[in-house]
Amino acid sequence: MKNRFSAAVLVLMIASAALALRLAPYNYASQDRDAAMAPSTARHVTGTDELGRDRTVRVAAALLIGLAGAAAAAAITTTIAAGIGVLAAFSPPWATAILMFVSDAFLSLPWLFLLMMARSLLPLTASPLETAVATFLVLAAFGWPACARAVYRGATALRSAEWMIQGHACGLQPRQLIRLHLVPHLRPLLLPQFLICVPVFIVAEANLGALGLGVGEPMPSWGAMLLELDNSALLARSHWVFLPIVLLVVVLLILESFTAEVENHA
Amino acid sequence: MSAPLMQVRLRADYGGRCVLKDVRFDLCAGEALGMVGTSGAGKTTLVMALLGLLPWRGGNASGEVLIDGINLLTMPAREARRIRGKRIALVPQSPMTALNAAVSLRSHFDEAWRAHESTGRKALDARLHQLMHDVQLPTNDDSFLRRKPGQISVGQAQRVLIAMALLHRPSILVADEPTSALDLVTQAEIIGLLRQLNRRNGTALLYISHDLVSVLQLCDRLAVLDCGAIAECSQVAQIEQARHPATLSLLHALPLPVRVLLDHFSPHLNGSEQAQLPEQVVPLHS
Repeated sequence: MKNRFSAAVLVLMIASAALALRLAPYNYASQDRDAAMAPSTARHVTGTDELGRDRTVRVAAALLIGLAGAAAAAAITTTIAAGIGVLAAFSPPWATAILMFVSDAFLSLPWLFLLMMARSLLPLTASPLETAVATFLVLAAFGWPACARAVYRGATALRSAEWMIQGHACGLQPRQLIRLHLVPHLRPLLLPQFLICVPVFIVAEANLGALGLGVGEPMPSWGAMLLELDNSALLARSHWVFLPIVLLVVVLLILESFTAEVENHA
Repeated sequence: MSAPLMQVRLRADYGGRCVLKDVRFDLCAGEALGMVGTSGAGKTTLVMALLGLLPWRGGNASGEVLIDGINLLTMPAREARRIRGKRIALVPQSPMTALNAAVSLRSHFDEAWRAHESTGRKALDARLHQLMHDVQLPTNDDSFLRRKPGQISVGQAQRVLIAMALLHRPSILVADEPTSALDLVTQAEIIGLLRQLNRRNGTALLYISHDLVSVLQLCDRLAVLDCGAIAECSQVAQIEQARHPATLSLLHALPLPVRVLLDHFSPHLNGSEQAQLPEQVVPLHS
């Protein structure tokens, strides 16, 4: 029930964001030089930023980019984790040891530093879209090890399950064993992992963006929009400057509630 | 009796702890061989080793399991998969845990069929209809097969597993204590079913059990597994001449003198074709 309500709110937010982008006479990059740092007006309902860009449009775009990017990154991370975890569980001991060492090594890396490094290796001439893709790919690449451990543990238990042995005794091929015996049992493990990753990646992107290492300007992102909050001149003029952070918190709350729901059912 | 269908010479251990020291026996076409042993004698290890599945249990098997003159233990994994389920099939000990609770019975059969057959659904449906009838499961519609393992009884689950083992008409059926999880009535029905398969279809049966009574009921020959080796092997009809202490202690543990039991089961021992349930079951169903 609660879950359905959360889902409805999220769908509503996505739909209105898409609608706002479609109906607004500006795109996220167009600057209204006469109305920089405007408060709420008839032309700009939620005001503008310091370059005169419409806040409604930018928040709507940030919402969609953030969600889509984080969901894609979470999907990639979960897939990598599932692959590595299952491979490790079904490999000979030496291969398992190598795979798990690699994932442990990944876990013990100073990942924030590496994220910054990986992100700053991008050339300055990279287009905003490229920076967005790169940011989320980097997040995906660093997100999998913890999840891979969980998958490995789950798959190891499944490996010696009686029905698995029975499957071998029936002469099932490895891909059949995966389809019939592994996937149905790993799904309840992978779905929460995916759902946990989405808000984590949204926050990670926002943090990177606030460091200036997220999605590149002029493309809007949570991180870039939160940066406005240290502009005291802007803060004094309009409360609408808090809109991005309020929406971010609402989105995160909704995503967390999904995770809680799935975990209760698992 | 014809030439051996399967020749077994096995050693097995779990990381240095030796469980099967030297197990040697042959299984002939169409025969029913009972393998009896106390708990911990290595029965389940023997089953896993026979099928080349011991590594999945963290164990190691060496020696040979010759089927059609080819060693199942040393052949490439791909070839071994073609033999398991096709030439030699397993009826496991605990029917409930041997079925995957997350998927329907139908999916189990679909995958088991596709493992060895490229013919489509129609051929499987025809085969399934026959099999379900043979193992006395509902055949009238698809609703039974759409169920998941949690929605059927243990006895039905064991019948499903027997049907799955028979799917590709194997020449060897290995039954690992197939009745130990079942009530007495269902036990008798399953034993009747296995006997029917052995007598009527000529499927060679390796019946592994700690229950000597069911072995006397079902098998032509009996081997006693003790301390990781075959202690004694004899015709069931001549079991009274057994000498080995392990066999004698099994015989002493019987509730009745073995002669009485043999006489009771004698129609079977005389070799008559008996394709029906044991007599004691009938009144309970009428």
